[in-house]
Amino acid sequence: MGSCNSGLPGSRRRFRITLSLALSMLAAAGCNGSASVLAPRGRAAMEIADLWWFLFWMATAVLVVVLLFLAIALVRRQGQQADEEAAARGGSRIVIYAGIVGPAVILLLVFSATVWTLTKLRSPVVADANVIHVIGRRWWWEVQYPDAQFATANEIHIPSGQPVRLVLTSPNVLHSFWVPELQGKIDLVPGAVNTLWLEADEPGVYRGQCAEFCGVQHANMGFLVIAQPPDAYAAWLEQQRRAAGTPTDPLAQRGQEVFLNANCVDCHTVRGTSATGNLGPDLTHFAGRRTLASATLDNVLGNLGGWVANPQHIKPGSLMPPADLTGVELQALLAYLASLE
Amino acid sequence: MTSTTEQPLDGTIPQRRTLHDKPRVLSPAEPLHQQLSDRWADPPGFFGWFRSLQNDALGGRIMGTAFLFFLTGGILALLMRVQLFRAENSFLSPDTYNELFTMHGSTMMYLFAVPMLEGFAIFLLPFMLGNREMPFPRLGQFSFFTFLLGGILFYTSFLFHAVPDTGWFAYVPLSGPAYSPGLPLDFWLLGLGVAEVAAIAAGVEIVIAVARMRAPGMGLGKMPILAWAYLITALAILFAFTTLLIASLLLELDRKIGTQFFNPNLGGSVLLWQHLFWIFGHPEVYIQFIPATGFVSTIVPVFVRRPLLGYNYIVMALIATGVMSFALWVHHMFTVGLPQIAMSFFAAASILIAIPAGIQIFAWIATIWYGKPIWRTPFLFVMGFIITFVIGGLSGVMVGVVPFNWQVHDSYFIVAHFHYVLIGGVLFPIFAALYYWIPLFTAKMLNERLGKWNFWLVFIGFHITFFPMHISGFLGMPRRVYTYDAGLGWEIYNQLSTIGAFILALGVLLFIINFFYSLRAGDKAPNNPWGAGSLEWGTALPAPNYGFAVLPIVHTRDPLWEQESLYEGDARLKAMLEDLDQWPLHWRGVDHDGAGARPTEIFHVSGPSIWPFVTSVGVITMFAAEIFTLRSLVVGGLIIAAVGLIGWHWPNRIETTERELEFERKHDILVFPNGSPIVTRWSMALMVLLLAICTSIFVFSYFYIRLQQPIWPYDRMPLPDLLLPGIATAALAGDGGHVLGEPAHWPAQRHGEPARRSADGLSAGRSRGTLRLSGPAPGAVRPHDERLRLALLHALHLRRAHHRGRHGPESVHPGVGVGRPLHGPGTCGRGHRCALLVRGAGPLADLGRHGLSVAAYGVRRTWCEKNPSCQTQRHMNRAAPPDAGVIAGCGSACSAGRCSTASTSSRATSLRR
Repeated sequence: MGSCNSGLPGSRRRFRITLSLALSMLAAAGCNGSASVLAPRGRAAMEIADLWWFLFWMATAVLVVVLLFLAIALVRRQGQQADEEAAARGGSRIVIYAGIVGPAVILLLVFSATVWTLTKLRSPVVADANVIHVIGRRWWWEVQYPDAQFATANEIHIPSGQPVRLVLTSPNVLHSFWVPELQGKIDLVPGAVNTLWLEADEPGVYRGQCAEFCGVQHANMGFLVIAQPPDAYAAWLEQQRRAAGTPTDPLAQRGQEVFLNANCVDCHTVRGTSATGNLGPDLTHFAGRRTLASATLDNVLGNLGGWVANPQHIKPGSLMPPADLTGVELQALLAYLASLE
Repeated sequence: MTSTTEQPLDGTIPQRRTLHDKPRVLSPAEPLHQQLSDRWADPPGFFGWFRSLQNDALGGRIMGTAFLFFLTGGILALLMRVQLFRAENSFLSPDTYNELFTMHGSTMMYLFAVPMLEGFAIFLLPFMLGNREMPFPRLGQFSFFTFLLGGILFYTSFLFHAVPDTGWFAYVPLSGPAYSPGLPLDFWLLGLGVAEVAAIAAGVEIVIAVARMRAPGMGLGKMPILAWAYLITALAILFAFTTLLIASLLLELDRKIGTQFFNPNLGGSVLLWQHLFWIFGHPEVYIQFIPATGFVSTIVPVFVRRPLLGYNYIVMALIATGVMSFALWVHHMFTVGLPQIAMSFFAAASILIAIPAGIQIFAWIATIWYGKPIWRTPFLFVMGFIITFVIGGLSGVMVGVVPFNWQVHDSYFIVAHFHYVLIGGVLFPIFAALYYWIPLFTAKMLNERLGKWNFWLVFIGFHITFFPMHISGFLGMPRRVYTYDAGLGWEIYNQLSTIGAFILALGVLLFIINFFYSLRAGDKAPNNPWGAGSLEWGTALPAPNYGFAVLPIVHTRDPLWEQESLYEGDARLKAMLEDLDQWPLHWRGVDHDGAGARPTEIFHVSGPSIWPFVTSVGVITMFAAEIFTLRSLVVGGLIIAAVGLIGWHWPNRIETTERELEFERKHDILVFPNGSPIVTRWSMALMVLLLAICTSIFVFSYFYIRLQQPIWPYDRMPLPDLLLPGIATAALAGDGGHVLGEPAHWPAQRHGEPARRSADGLSAGRSRGTLRLSGPAPGAVRPHDERLRLALLHALHLRRAHHRGRHGPESVHPGVGVGRPLHGPGTCGRGHRCALLVRGAGPLADLGRHGLSVAAYGVRRTWCEKNPSCQTQRHMNRAAPPDAGVIAGCGSACSAGRCSTASTSSRATSLRR
């Protein structure tokens, strides 16, 4: 149980562990390795998780009190003997104290906690270099690094231990950006610009997903936030900024020809080549990514072949058409894509 | 909790006095029963079905239809649960899945919950309130057919492979023309639009039924809580559904006509839809919840043998819930990027609504505290409700907490939360109510053993289904995903949910079995089988279509528990009801009551008619044709609807007979054989309210879009011409002022004896009371002003109420909004042709007239204050009110096809005939 909370300060961890033992189901929610609101890895999500535990205990207390009241009311037998007036007086007392005063006090506490947490969640000062633009596409995420002037897709690299500001827009329909382990969600609203700050305490990979229904492939619109130590992050930025190299392997060279002559270039960009389409993800450093098709598949050759040959099979309704290629061409194309480190 | 002791329910607790005078119920053998039944019976046969409008039949049909939609929606949910049983399942395609959750949500919200509860209201209210009918039976009939046909229209989308697929809140731009081309969203907007029209129609009827048509003596403070709940809900329906209709209209205009209200690229706003939708959508939840709590407040006292404690608190809580529900819609939008201060405000409002809920919960607990529970199925469902709803309410408070909302919004946590409040908070009470009230109409008890199985399966199945969803939400599972990856740890929770869903479905199946089993082989229910205290159980079982054989006089909140007799009271009232028992029952008479105690008039409700059905078909044709953009067919539908409306309101004159006049004189109460002017005026007020809501929504939308734009007008577009909207708004305001301001003097003046009537308090009683919509308190208006105003109003458009009384029971109501004959003394020679002309001219003429009359009044009054010669006018008015003579005479003569400007009294004319 402790292992899933390793990112937390000791006292909090002990607290959390106690809870986990008491509440195995909820604890499981915090501990089975998936992205969980209850296993926060970033400052914002931690504040919210703390708030949740406060709410949880409040709610549990209220539920217990109400059910106790109800249970006693159901089993006690003296009640019937009370005359009308006594009952009316007693009833009013119950309603006033348990139904009005009690809830009012609790709600005041809850509201105070809300405002308190809201102030703590105010955006910290973010370095200009740490501003990242996220654009919701159907059904993938475009990620632009304006400072470093390149774009990638479905993978947001951030430096760990530093706050990052995301500027989120959508040119099409509503989406919602949600990385449960790091931060609450924010919608991408066409015609508006929203921002969200993120901070990952530790290096790691955090899964996120679109949370606002955005059409047929809403379910497969995931992404990864990859937090790296600042120096590794800087190196990554440097590497991404470069244009794609020319393949040396003959098969990959053949693949590049296939790529540039097929309809791939209508939608995809590979910097350093003549492919400058902007409807689909930028593929300049495609091979460095961990996943395919918005965190739907692992980025391995077999999956890639299946995806390129017929995306509709994997994400029905996806806007990428099937590739009209022979087997040989496909082989070459895959080799080329795999070379785009 | 599983105590199976079958305590007899006919016993009452010792300290509760019961009626020593049993309610007078007629045995089927008595001739009066036969006579009354025949009078109130619906027409027989297949075609009769389309003409029938009896409240219990209609209510039952609406509920039955809603229940079928509930089953359909449930099956869609089961299909979804099968798909999610396994990670990466391929049972359903993504398209199908998206269609299913859209249809599931929309069906449950629009076609099940609201119609079900409205059906209950139409079914029960006349019995509960001790009256014979709803105020507008034909409107109820229209509501039923419109709902039924609208639901069918919505579901025909399956036949066209054009099933809506953008969720029950249909967020733009996804639902806009660019991302949802083709028919699906038109089916959603227009198919449900029809159902919304039906909901509003029923809402109007419910408001008036509760506000004006209660048994003698049933003041506001003695109304059953359920009636309060329905009053508040129905008012909320008017506000909320009208908003949704306008929002749907704007979106449909975007889709079909090319407006850009919601297109951010051309000056529109995406968030405008969300605001409009949730201004509807959040109250929608309370529209369902408030009557459900009304069921609970009715059932709890019966099964603990103790009158409800905290009645006043509950009423206040209900009102507070209804009002506050319109102030917290933004908590559905905490993630769209609003300013923090706005979010804090709405967070406060959202969690504050827990207080009225707390009041109700503890009032029920207090009632149980001082009583002794009897564990029958309705009570079990109520207990299930309290437990489940408290959990759902607590997670609701959490969801109102902004930062927490950011995490769980649009995740499965929310799915869990709202099913806790909607199934726990609404469906459980509906089941309780079904078990409780079905015997009233079938005279068969539902089986108790099956009932308990039903409850436990539903209760356990529910929690197995929805509790794990809290956790899958925490684990990051968003709503509305047709599939999920295996490695995310969501599978086990989804499997639990799916298993639970099938257990829940089994429970629902048991209910259906139980219902049909009870019809065939159920125990016969004795009269008042639960030993309840509320009025509806004072009838024979099955409840006769005419309601009460003798109308009851109510002195307490639980008349069957606390009154010695249902027929004792003020001597004059008693005498009147006894006469009523013998006489006006030969027509479909209902009496109606002011806010206080005494009946103010007796009127004839409309009888069976095919025309509401025709109107409904016309409306459906319009909407259906618009889906396919067949504009000529839209016009066709419009014509059918217009013809239907004309037929519906066709003057159906019944002359006042000497016997009725005698009754009037003897009991000092007004008898209207052609429908109630007061009810008509209420409906007119509600019509104005509806229009005012529409106007407000448009104004809100305008300012919302305008304030969103950094530069206005957008792209140098010309600003709209304000003249026409200005005139329309002024006319509307004038109309509102008129309806609100017009005193209720005219009926008193029908006999030319205003002084006496005012003196004995009947007229005053009408305009008194907390729910009065009838303008300033009697003392607040100087008499000569009032007189002058009346004279002016009447000079402009005669005594509409008189004409309404003469020209048909529903000649004015929200279905049309007008119908006031414009003919003055010189123009009314053509009889009802001129009346029809005005009816056809539509609300505009009406509103215009009102604006004019108010303006004229203002001018005249100003002039009068400066001009001494006005004194004479005042004097004249006081001496010979024009409405008593000339105009009334005309109305009556008119109806005979002749015109008379002579000042013969209407009464004289009709008597001669």
